[in-house]
Amino acid sequence: MHVVIIGCGRTGRALATRLDAEGDTVTVVELDDAVRSGLPAGFRGRLVPGNGISPRVLEAAGIAHAEAFVALTPYDSANIVAARVARDVYRVPHVLARLHDPARAPVYTEFGITTVGSVQTTVNRAIQLLHHRTLEPHQTFGNGETLLVRSRIPDYLAGRRVAEFNVPGEIGVVELSRTGHSRIPEPSTPLEGGDVLSFIVAAGSLGRLRSFLGGKWS
Amino acid sequence: MRIIVIGGTGLAEQVADALHRAGDEVTVIDTEAGRESALAKAGLRAVRGDALVPSTLEAAGALRADVLVACTQSDEDNLVISLLAKNHFNVPRVIARVNDPANDELFDQSWGVDALVSPATALVSMIRQES
Repeated sequence: MHVVIIGCGRTGRALATRLDAEGDTVTVVELDDAVRSGLPAGFRGRLVPGNGISPRVLEAAGIAHAEAFVALTPYDSANIVAARVARDVYRVPHVLARLHDPARAPVYTEFGITTVGSVQTTVNRAIQLLHHRTLEPHQTFGNGETLLVRSRIPDYLAGRRVAEFNVPGEIGVVELSRTGHSRIPEPSTPLEGGDVLSFIVAAGSLGRLRSFLGGKWS
Repeated sequence: MRIIVIGGTGLAEQVADALHRAGDEVTVIDTEAGRESALAKAGLRAVRGDALVPSTLEAAGALRADVLVACTQSDEDNLVISLLAKNHFNVPRVIARVNDPANDELFDQSWGVDALVSPATALVSMIRQES
């Protein structure tokens, strides 16, 4: 697919290099002459000088036939403007933008722009690694607000029912693996030692899930 | 009229000051610390903060403002502030400053901008008309 990236800083370069290696066609837009280097020698993509909010520059970067657009400049407002132009004027199907200042997250949300690399993602991940090492997520959603976690059920919880783990808005059991077979359990299904459960968990409720698995029910 | 001006120096400050002298109720939003006292001395209400954060605009009275002027030195900031003012706060009249005439074409209704002020473009067109 054709991908347009604006911002050729560390993240822009790394993403452009990776996409190029994976066979995508990549065009990078960068305003600052000083930054416009550092792409690896074998990079097959194009580099377009100019301001990524300018329709003329975006058209030179091939935005009309782009399938994806990623705004990675150091400025929140430039990322928002460019992302919105890419989505609403050029109808690019996949648009992502970097969020720097967490206080500005509501603006990205209000304009419906998917964010990457936010402070919140890093904070959620750090908390995960510091406090909840034993609950390694299989999948995270959004900026890490919701996680899919798998855990083996300790023997002393045998006989508990699936419903006892469900906390509305916080924790839900979505899958049960027993002796190599997977199924979607009923709330009334009794657990056996050795069962592995998949939980959908709000990031703020990981501590609660951990207490459940540690045998602390309050 | 109740008017919010965003941007604390240069053109923004002069516009705010002139409107205040003409009897309008003017609030200035500025990110710079320590300018409140200078603005207050001129009789202007000042809110220190980031106008790209909706709560700052609300604190400045965006919900009941008649006019908002996005007059920072960043065109991107002015566009985002204009759209927030129009979509989130329903400000009846949104006026935005264009710093780089190359960005003139972006400043339209799709960004919530009712009128734009582009000093460079205005000056160039005046020179063309006179020659």
